[in-house]
Amino acid sequence: MSEIALAADFAIIVVVATVIGLIARQTGQPTIIAYILTGILLGPVAFDIVTDEGLVELMADLGFAFLLFLLGLKMRFDDIREILPAVTNVAFGQTVLQTALAFLVAWALGFGTVEILVIALATVFGATPIIVKILTDKDEITSLPGKIDVGVLIVQDIYLVIVLALFATDELGGAADIASTLGIILLMMSFIGIFSLLSSRYILPGLFRRIADNKDVFLIVAIAWAFLFVAIAEGADLDPKVGAFLAGISIAQLPYSKELEDRITPITDFFILVFFATIGLQIDGLSSLLAYWWQAIVASIVLMVGNFWIMFYLIDREGFGVETSFLGSLNMVQVSEFSLIVGALAIEQGYIGSDVLGYLSLMALLTMSVSTYLIAYNHAIYERLEPWFSRFDADDKKDADVSTYDGHAIAIGYDEITEQALALLEDHYSEVVVIDRQTDHIEELESEGRYEFVFGDFRHTEVRKEANLKGAAFVLSSSVEREVNEALLAEVADDATVFVEAERIGDARALYDRGATYVIMTSHLAAEKLSEYVELYVTDRNAFDDAVVRDVERVRGRHRRSADRLEARSTRIDPASTGDSDADGTSGGESDG
Amino acid sequence: MAEELVIALAVVFVTAGVLSLIANQFGLSPIPFYIIAGLIAGRFVTEAEIVVLAQWGIAFLVFAFAIRIDFGDVETVLRDAEVAAVTQLIVVAPIAFGVGYLFGDLFGFADPVRNAVYFGAAVVLSSSLVGGVLLGTEIRQNLVHGRLASSIHFFDDLVAIALLLVLSTEVVTADAIAAQIGYGVVLVVVGLGIYRHGFPLLVRLADGDSELVLVGSISILIAFLAAAEYVGLSIVVGAFAAGVAIRSDGTQALEVQNGISSITDFFTAIFFVTVGALVAFPSLEVLAIAGALSALVLFVNPLVHLLSFVYEGYDARTAFLAGSSLNQVSEFALIIAIQALLMGTIADPMFDAIILAAAVTMVLTFLARRTEDVVYETVVARLFRGQHTRKVDERSSVDELSEHVVVVGYGRIGRRIVETLEEHDTPYVVVENDPVLWTELDAECRNYVLGDALAAYTWEKARVGDARLVCSTVDHRPVSEMVLDLETDADVMLRSSSAEDASELLDAGATHVAVPDVLAGEQLIATVEDLAAGETEPDELERAQRDYFRTLERYGFATRDERV
Repeated sequence: MSEIALAADFAIIVVVATVIGLIARQTGQPTIIAYILTGILLGPVAFDIVTDEGLVELMADLGFAFLLFLLGLKMRFDDIREILPAVTNVAFGQTVLQTALAFLVAWALGFGTVEILVIALATVFGATPIIVKILTDKDEITSLPGKIDVGVLIVQDIYLVIVLALFATDELGGAADIASTLGIILLMMSFIGIFSLLSSRYILPGLFRRIADNKDVFLIVAIAWAFLFVAIAEGADLDPKVGAFLAGISIAQLPYSKELEDRITPITDFFILVFFATIGLQIDGLSSLLAYWWQAIVASIVLMVGNFWIMFYLIDREGFGVETSFLGSLNMVQVSEFSLIVGALAIEQGYIGSDVLGYLSLMALLTMSVSTYLIAYNHAIYERLEPWFSRFDADDKKDADVSTYDGHAIAIGYDEITEQALALLEDHYSEVVVIDRQTDHIEELESEGRYEFVFGDFRHTEVRKEANLKGAAFVLSSSVEREVNEALLAEVADDATVFVEAERIGDARALYDRGATYVIMTSHLAAEKLSEYVELYVTDRNAFDDAVVRDVERVRGRHRRSADRLEARSTRIDPASTGDSDADGTSGGESDG
Repeated sequence: MAEELVIALAVVFVTAGVLSLIANQFGLSPIPFYIIAGLIAGRFVTEAEIVVLAQWGIAFLVFAFAIRIDFGDVETVLRDAEVAAVTQLIVVAPIAFGVGYLFGDLFGFADPVRNAVYFGAAVVLSSSLVGGVLLGTEIRQNLVHGRLASSIHFFDDLVAIALLLVLSTEVVTADAIAAQIGYGVVLVVVGLGIYRHGFPLLVRLADGDSELVLVGSISILIAFLAAAEYVGLSIVVGAFAAGVAIRSDGTQALEVQNGISSITDFFTAIFFVTVGALVAFPSLEVLAIAGALSALVLFVNPLVHLLSFVYEGYDARTAFLAGSSLNQVSEFALIIAIQALLMGTIADPMFDAIILAAAVTMVLTFLARRTEDVVYETVVARLFRGQHTRKVDERSSVDELSEHVVVVGYGRIGRRIVETLEEHDTPYVVVENDPVLWTELDAECRNYVLGDALAAYTWEKARVGDARLVCSTVDHRPVSEMVLDLETDADVMLRSSSAEDASELLDAGATHVAVPDVLAGEQLIATVEDLAAGETEPDELERAQRDYFRTLERYGFATRDERV
């Protein structure tokens, strides 16, 4: 039996990274630093135990691809459309100005002409994975500064593809050659982009509606979709990560994307760890790292400050508020690990030596480490410096506000129990949000249009965040699973009213201990009612008949209402969808028993 | 170069994705379709790295399985089905071994005994992954045969792990096996130790960062795998011990579970596709072996199960339904096969045959489901009718009754109703099919019939013709319809989980249909209104409920094994 753990490089990386990560956590450092440190320790710089080949390289690539897939999942077209013009301007301006600044700094430090060119080209990129990872973890990726940064990063990625293509061609012929390569690249990208858009509108909704109920198939098909784009991009010699991003965007428009986010995130987290480690692994060795050490420090400081101001000026110029400009610029001050890739390519082509690569690596390391802290504490830093920056403030600045629910009522699971309560809740609370895991329920809600809804399993953090569980005033859970309800009670605000369900008395007691306002014991209730009815049957037949008539009315009323809704929905498109999926009837918020 | 690997993985997932769409369309489990995807895409997936990833799939599969085990459940689960499980081992295993050995001899395999063991394992063990999907609804509805089948699955999984432990030596001698078992036990004990102390330490150090807990859990898996490899054990044992070490409770439990489940799904898809990819184009030998395997799994297994369940006292229908959901090759058999392939101890035709048979039986088991009821009515019921009648007579106690109430199902609701009836001195009969409840029925009920609610004789015995009310507490449509079709003037009260079904049942003549969620919904609204109007306080509500719980417990409604 081959040795998959003992001899596997990535296994060693994971274990060491965990240990360092735990230490980092205990000492209050960001985990990304720990991961990069792992790579440095295990790689040529220190112990040289692992290499970044084979499975390690695969996982690193996958990690980056999944990260961008995840990123795409969070982007809605509408969000992007609003800021697209601004982002393009900023990205353009930033590329030009930062290249110029890097050029100046390299020239001032005394590098050779070709070296200066390479350095200038290499250091213009922001570190996408670090920015995306930290912002996602802090849940700021969909804030306005986050979106601006993401937009600029994506444009940069496209620019990077072009730069890499140019570097990779064995001879840089005349301008015609360059132009045609550029043209082909842009053409292919637009093809993929259009494919993504079209499928989002025509193919995907029907496809995903069929499978969204079956969570295993859902995940695999989504991964397959991402891989499809990656393979197409890879085959067309484009950057597979941009392909993954476009795949993510195409799914982002569907209501199922939140649920998918939660399922993809753990896979991404696992692989991206390896990726961050490979950043450290790619550094050749201690000597080349330190060859230009003081130049690297000077350059890093100058570039960080310079980049910040360039970005600030550009974003501010587009009319965004001071805080947005500040945060957006602060996130982008580092030199990306791409500089290492560009550098490595440049060495292959003989444009620079390994010492210059060491200089680039050191700069990348320094700026990435510092900026990790900067991004992690960005709000705190802004608050500290706010008085000084308010001079840039003007009244006519535009800043979109992210709307979330507050003081609302949440119903987990759309079934017989919760349905009756929804109308009542509507009267008492500003908004009603329903979380459910079944596509046909979500469609019912959509067509009714009365309540807000979130498709997903309540077990998943993204879903809870989307519904803003922390800000809810009333929560009704029709799940009988104890762990789900306990998680609910742990996260909800102290003064919120929480109604949960339970099947066993032991569970009910535990839930009361954890702060539930009321525990519904459905089957005990049914037992009570039925035994009451039986009692009436044997003692007072008339009373029994009355009670039964009332109940029957209620049941038929419920059925009539849902039948009406069903009819209203079926007069819409898609006659081919079936409502039956008894192969896997699991759901997140439905009552059992 | 990572590019080729990425393309290979892309092929794996895209084919898996497309085929799982097909599976979903027909309501089948996607697992056999992953295998089929591998059969199709095999030529493009040849990299050694992909096989390594597939082995990680094995590790994660077993890891996830072991995490889910609740040791408290082990006892209850095994108690349900020990006779059937052991009987199958004793009866079917030798037959399978014999057939396998014959093939080995016939086709000239290098080590016919070992190959026969692999063949036998493939026949005897049934699949918990596929079977679990198959039985999803039944288990949720708490039907007896669902419970029985999942017990057998669980038992088979444990047997499989033990088998993998023994089979990880290349040369099977008593010493080697003893050493293996020794190491295996040590690993599991270490796992238990980490469960007690190590894992809580990890959670504490991670300080609320669930990503670190997730990565930490995987590191534990890696550590155990490395240990297993170091002493020459199968990685399955390492993965099992690692799974034992992970706690599935606590504040981060949900997130960590979700994380491990996602990563497991990713790797296990690769595993199943790779397994299919490793199959060469089937020769006549392969087809013969696969055919025999499938025949044994599809027909002999269920038969043996049926007989042993009936012997244990279950009614024929339950026994048949449970047995027929056990007729597929287990994914653990696939793991045994692939481990053997990597060790070089299995003949190629045998390997191919096991994989093919697995895919075939997993698909057929779903299709067989559709025809289950028909097969039961036409074949099994006839055969067992006499025996059923006798059994019912033996295990019932019914006096001369008329104008009585027939209560179907002795779960929570049934017991409550019986209590009420006793209070009012009304004659009644309880109809229940779970033999585990026989002693309770005998002790607590004046009249009862232990038999299948879907068989006519049971109702005859319960004298339903003279009854005034039939009250079914079972949420199972066939039972409800059976009750409505009875030859009786009695009023009919049924139970259903959806208002839609209830409406249909009312149309068909039911006097009343209890939809527990609707009932609960009304009380819920009343309570919410009271709270909002300030007519009651949360404290009061809680107090009232807790009193209610105490009352219920006094009546004995709160035991762990309680059927709902």
